[in-house]
Amino acid sequence: MADALHPADRARLAVFLTPAYLWLTLAVFLPLSAMLFFSFVTDMPGDVDQWFVTLSNYGEFLRNPTYASLMWKSLKLAFTVTILCILIGYPCALVLAKSVKGRTREALFLMVILPFWSNSLVRIFSWAIVLRGNGVLEKALNAVLPFEVKLKLLFTTDAVVIGLVHSYLPYVILTSYLALQAVSDDLIDAARSMGASSLTILWRILLPLSLPGLLAGAVLVFVPVVGSFMEPRILGGRMGTYYGTVIEDQFVAVYNWPLGAALSFILLAVVLVVLALASPVLRKAKT
Amino acid sequence: MSRAFLTLSGRVWLGLILVFLYAPIAVMAAMSFNASPFYQLPFEFSTVWYQKMAANSQVLEAALRSVLIACVTTVIATALGTAASIALFRYEFPGKKVLQALLFPPIAIPWLITGTAMLILFFSIGIGRGTPAVILGHVALALPYVIVTVSARLASFDRTLEEAARSMGADTWTVVRRITLPWIAPGVVAGALFAFAVSFDQFVVSYFLSEPGDTTLPVLIYTAIRKGFTPEINAISTLIITLSMAVMFLAARYSKFGGDQ
Amino acid sequence: MTLKSVPSLATALVALTAGGAFADEIRVLNWQGYGTDIDWSLAAFAEATGHTVVHEYFNSEQEMLTKLRTNPGAYDVVMINAVFTPQAAEEGLIAPIDTSAIANYSGIPASFAEDEKLNHDGTVYGVPWTWGLTSFAINTQSFDAPPASIEALWDKSYEGRVSIRDDALEAMQIGALATGQDINNITDMEAVTAKLAALMPQLRTFWSSENDWNQYMAAGELDVATYWSGSASRSAGMGLPVAFVVPQEGAIGWLDGLSIPATSTHKEAATQFINWMIGPAFYVKWDADGAPASANAEAAAALPDEAFNKAVLGDPEVVARVHFQDAISDETRAAYLEAWQALKAAQ
Repeated sequence: MADALHPADRARLAVFLTPAYLWLTLAVFLPLSAMLFFSFVTDMPGDVDQWFVTLSNYGEFLRNPTYASLMWKSLKLAFTVTILCILIGYPCALVLAKSVKGRTREALFLMVILPFWSNSLVRIFSWAIVLRGNGVLEKALNAVLPFEVKLKLLFTTDAVVIGLVHSYLPYVILTSYLALQAVSDDLIDAARSMGASSLTILWRILLPLSLPGLLAGAVLVFVPVVGSFMEPRILGGRMGTYYGTVIEDQFVAVYNWPLGAALSFILLAVVLVVLALASPVLRKAKT
Repeated sequence: MSRAFLTLSGRVWLGLILVFLYAPIAVMAAMSFNASPFYQLPFEFSTVWYQKMAANSQVLEAALRSVLIACVTTVIATALGTAASIALFRYEFPGKKVLQALLFPPIAIPWLITGTAMLILFFSIGIGRGTPAVILGHVALALPYVIVTVSARLASFDRTLEEAARSMGADTWTVVRRITLPWIAPGVVAGALFAFAVSFDQFVVSYFLSEPGDTTLPVLIYTAIRKGFTPEINAISTLIITLSMAVMFLAARYSKFGGDQ
Repeated sequence: MTLKSVPSLATALVALTAGGAFADEIRVLNWQGYGTDIDWSLAAFAEATGHTVVHEYFNSEQEMLTKLRTNPGAYDVVMINAVFTPQAAEEGLIAPIDTSAIANYSGIPASFAEDEKLNHDGTVYGVPWTWGLTSFAINTQSFDAPPASIEALWDKSYEGRVSIRDDALEAMQIGALATGQDINNITDMEAVTAKLAALMPQLRTFWSSENDWNQYMAAGELDVATYWSGSASRSAGMGLPVAFVVPQEGAIGWLDGLSIPATSTHKEAATQFINWMIGPAFYVKWDADGAPASANAEAAAALPDEAFNKAVLGDPEVVARVHFQDAISDETRAAYLEAWQALKAAQ
């Protein structure tokens, strides 16, 4: 596949690739380039007569320790949520791909994503009703359990994690499923006939072969969670301030787009660095 | 451990996860039938929110508009995204890694910032606002999800199948249509489902780019920031989920996309 | 790419498409559910004038300004908190208003009409519409008698059952009241941040909308929380056990005005709409559903005597304790935000 492209292939490549990337360029890359430019100026051009090109918006990240500490807090949150999504979602995908068959599987496949065809704000508020003191979960547990439980979940970091895992779990389940389902059953049967245990089959065959799917899911969880602010605000109470919150504030509470843009691009850079650092480790794990 | 035990515990796990996924949805639906405007317990059955919703043309119009925009977005994003995934998978070319990395900015940068940036650019180049601008934005934000999902499926594609077909004289289009597409169908379906979810919940872009008066459901909900929303929103959301569920079960009944070999 | 090139292009487009003058569609930019978008009122207005009204909503004042800057010609009436009116006027976003065309304007007392935030270079840029207080409200089931002091928020017996809004400016001004400072000129920021740092452990959560405030109160999560006067009367009206408190330290007063964007193409209809909005006929009916206080003395006087906005906010003793917000510079705002973010991040 590494050989040079034939002209015909090059034409096909262009036909397949251009529409998507042209669309992205017009609607995302160009606007974001403007934002990138704003992140290097002192004031919004057009609003004031004098504005300068500067690095001070990026310097602000180093000057004010609040930003770095919140960035670290957001990264920890994103790691926790991603790992939980993998631990919870991968077995789920395994069952869906290898143990359920036919129409049931089709239906379950759809049911995993259906909750996300509702509004996220309504969903988060519903979680608040479930988790709050004297809420749905506490009432349900006390109805079942012989002893009294008092949950103090709402307005804690745990509540934020629960809400985020809920919001992003389908990505891991479905992308893992897509990869797992592609592993031929014949291969598994062959391994089993040679005496391999279920654990060996999982570890030596299923996991390596489905890794691309699992990773795609993990990325779709990790990347947006680092910048999240809605779930933390509503479920986290006074613990709910994260890096995404301070970016939002620069646009909503004050009119400081240059700083807000700079903070966003620092976020993007950190995310890309984390992904780049993770990729060799994961590639090694794959072989 | 016996296989039967493994299978059983696996299914129990799947069941538990479905309970987890549907817990807030069940609460959302229950609250749409609860009389209290403050989502107060104990539960008191009432259909008042459904009556209010049925009389509220603004909510109904916004819901309908959201569904339509999400459908259009899903079709366009899925088509463009699938094509791009196939190209990224099949060909090696300089700059491929860059193109793949470029999928991350729209996911990583909070939508508020991307939306604000779109607002400025669309105005300066004369696209302005309105439904076409909204769809332009929605598709762009949904595309990376489609490409990543379809690529995840393609990664396990056996290229020898394509080569075998080609060696038997099939042209590229035939190969794509008869071999590649059926194989990636589950990925395309998953990508489409994600695209719909992204568009249907997308607030910022619709908020900045739709014409005054042309609100969508998320805009209606998020702009209620001062007064907040009432269980009417739960009622319309419950209605939408129920309808989607019906459509999906029909789809599951009459078509195969789960990838059964 | 400059923002300045945007208006000229769009104004040209708008000029081409501007329609007839008799039955206009006017576009209003406001918070959702804040007076201008009530169905019966719009129906009455349409019947009287023939003009229809469509709405667009904003989620924060900054977004309102962004929309004005980037959408020339899109709006005809905009609701602006008076604190932001000078900025909007200086940026040329809003037009001078011919108050002689607004019959109900005569009912507005000089204290509001001559507010320097709404007047720029001797011209009126904003018509005073509503005003209210930011103070706090209590759960009457948790208190034997309403507290006299703002210190109730810091009272250890309500630890973990207090809430304030997640808003830097509001937090700093509450801190200023509690430390005995001028809310418009905080000289001792350290005292304010120390006072707020002591408030943090008291908090259950931050609230962001009337809706979450009501939910948390109804679920018994809160005993005492900052609130807006109009919202408190609305919550009480809906059956929640809440009472609004104007403590001895005073309360923050805010004034909301109606303005006409400079690029509006239906200025005449917009003026008529503003006249309808500040008039007693609309206000009395609006107040029955829970409204902020009217800036129009004639409208306020038309209220029934037991109405909260007449009984409490009409009380001269309460009015004497109100500190109205002044305009605020970008630098101060940024400094408040930075201090507030540091406080929140330390949690």
